[in-house]
Amino acid sequence: MSEAATQAGQVVLARYGELWLKGRNRVDFERALMRNAGVALRSIDPQARVEREHGLMVVHPTRRVHDVARRLEQLFGVASLSVARSAPSERDPIAAVAHELLRESLEGFSRERPVRFRVKTQRADKRFPMTSPELDRFVADGMPLDLVPRIRVDLSRPELELGIHVRTGTSYVFAQRTGGAGGLPVGTVGRAVVLLSGGIDSPVAAWMTMKRGCEAVLLSFHSRPWVGEGFERKVERIARSLARWQPRTRLVLAPLAEIQIKIKETAPPPYRTVLYRRMMQRIAGLLAREERAGAVVTGESLGQVASQTLENLALIEAAGDLPVLRPLIGFDKPETIALARRIGTFELSIENEPDCCTVFQPERPIIHGKRADCEAAEAALDVEALVTAAFAARRTLDVGPD
Amino acid sequence: MLGVLGPVLYLDNAATTPLAPEVRAAMLPYLEEHFGNPSSRHTLGVGAARALEAARAQVARATGVRPEQVVFTSGGTEANNLAVLGLARAQARHGRHVLIGPTEHPCVRDSARALTEEGFELESLRLDARGALDLEHAATRLRHDTVLVAQMLVNNEFGTIYPLARLARLVRANAPQARLHVDAVQAMGKVEVSLGELGAHSLALGGHKFHGPKGTGALVLAEGVRPRPLVFGGEQERGLRSGTENVAGLVGLGQACELVEAGFSRARAAFAERRAELVAELARVPGAELLEPGGRASVAPAICSLLLPGAPAEAWQHHLEARGVFTSVGSACQAKKGGLSPALLALGLDEERARRVLRISFSRHTSAADVRAGVDALAAVARELTA
Repeated sequence: MSEAATQAGQVVLARYGELWLKGRNRVDFERALMRNAGVALRSIDPQARVEREHGLMVVHPTRRVHDVARRLEQLFGVASLSVARSAPSERDPIAAVAHELLRESLEGFSRERPVRFRVKTQRADKRFPMTSPELDRFVADGMPLDLVPRIRVDLSRPELELGIHVRTGTSYVFAQRTGGAGGLPVGTVGRAVVLLSGGIDSPVAAWMTMKRGCEAVLLSFHSRPWVGEGFERKVERIARSLARWQPRTRLVLAPLAEIQIKIKETAPPPYRTVLYRRMMQRIAGLLAREERAGAVVTGESLGQVASQTLENLALIEAAGDLPVLRPLIGFDKPETIALARRIGTFELSIENEPDCCTVFQPERPIIHGKRADCEAAEAALDVEALVTAAFAARRTLDVGPD
Repeated sequence: MLGVLGPVLYLDNAATTPLAPEVRAAMLPYLEEHFGNPSSRHTLGVGAARALEAARAQVARATGVRPEQVVFTSGGTEANNLAVLGLARAQARHGRHVLIGPTEHPCVRDSARALTEEGFELESLRLDARGALDLEHAATRLRHDTVLVAQMLVNNEFGTIYPLARLARLVRANAPQARLHVDAVQAMGKVEVSLGELGAHSLALGGHKFHGPKGTGALVLAEGVRPRPLVFGGEQERGLRSGTENVAGLVGLGQACELVEAGFSRARAAFAERRAELVAELARVPGAELLEPGGRASVAPAICSLLLPGAPAEAWQHHLEARGVFTSVGSACQAKKGGLSPALLALGLDEERARRVLRISFSRHTSAADVRAGVDALAAVARELTA
């Protein structure tokens, strides 16, 4: 059989099973999930059909079924996935497809010893003339003779499980189950502005925001002409990488150099970093209002750099009027790095590219900043004019996944 | 098509293809005003880096990976060399056993042979009596110290599509340390070429086989797979292939990949139609036989291997050429080496018959009229040669 022919009749089953979801919530959840799936598959298989069948999303690809499944692994709201084959809902065709799939799956196991195996049927269609255990047994008993020595039935610790979903009309048979991204479909829990630097942490914070169903609008600051276009390119690449996880990704780039220069001229050097960040917070507030976002998200965690103290975090937050969410607050650096690798942003983040902070960084940033000192320093600045000007000079990009 | 010698019917697309107009258009700005070095920090450099990035994304989309998994090279040969030498060397601490397919291109075969000088043990997979890859045999050759398996996806001489996904399962089960490398140079545009669908660790592409420019190629790597580099210097391509990038060429490669993606189902249908037409028309050439090793369903329709009666294929080739029809004997790369194609011999053809094999290969632009005209020429040459 050719490789192409083996793809016919294959589907991807995506289970979401957040069983606590009821009524209106559930409808919104399912709608968002299907819509996001459609967008996610555009670059691989725009003709793929996405359907909902009681508690299950079934995707019918026209090509590259495994690539489609891998893409759906990055869809928030999906708990687990299987590539499955369809069969008419009668016992003989189901068994035939199950045996074909078993034969193929066994190629992936060493021949040195028998593979612990079981069949597990679930019936959505209770009118099917056999019970689930009866169908399990029927499939196992009808095993082609040459496969018999390669398997050993083991109901408690199987290495290979053939799953069968019996449904009205068409049933599905699958051998593997991979973990989904979990979380909630992006767009079901509103929108937040995420401050994106070129570093490792903030993309992870953005990802965690999306994971809980909240659309992330990315805001980044550049210091042109003190740094080159390379920094913006880096942030754009990070944004494209994050765009694999949400259907619509907006990146806003605002200039910070003017503000940094003014602060550098007037403020005590140790306060510079806190003051820059307070300005960023204000600009984020303007963007949030425009994007109807309900929070600002940062990649800050406690104590990772000397200046990330409770006092400083409070000072920065106080500059804006929206809640500031810090999804990484309890993470150690290695935990953040592990997640960044999984998300796919780590390699991009570690590329050496001077950013807006490097140039204007004071030698010794303040550790325990005081509100009065901040306000005194800002009294020498026309804060509103600076913030408005930076916001007005922003550049907005809607990026697609790469 | 008009050649330097007048009208030409080009039926040697497995050797190389003409540049697509869209590819040429995409390349031109990078041969002219956008000449920056992608490593430069100024805008001209960043512009070039962005262009490379876009090209990388195009290659990635066509092969089902992330852009970071694409390593640009100077062509299919370099990509295959990097994979075979680089992956075997990177895995050498786990063993020194290397398996290659029975009909590999010389750039894979000879790289693997070079590994034997470094203490690697080299073995070949084999074809079964039908000309299909013998998977039963493969399962018995895979070992715990096997570190590399290299198998082409589509044969360049007779078009057989090898069952890579099945081989990949066998490799993972029986040779857990092995990297599976796929030479997909001849496959791109003819069958689906997705690293994930194949279940491979790496795959090689060459731009000029699918209307991209010569001198461009890519090695696509699975996540976490890193060959030892062959070329050292400025650490371009994540250190895997140093040297200032061929920006214009790679932009062309990306564009060519995008065209393959955009027109894939149309091209596949066209190839199948052309082959059906060839099969029907071939009755007009008595004694000609279409070789379909592995069975009709397992051959890429764009590559037609003809066993011709009487004279050696070389004579057929040049008589056809005199009528403006360009074909080839064996592969272009084999032609340079003189000698007979080991791939044809691997099919079990004797020497005399192997010398009578002519290759006709279509592009996605080959028309039904082209096929008819090609067979007209074959029929005329048949009369000349038997006169």
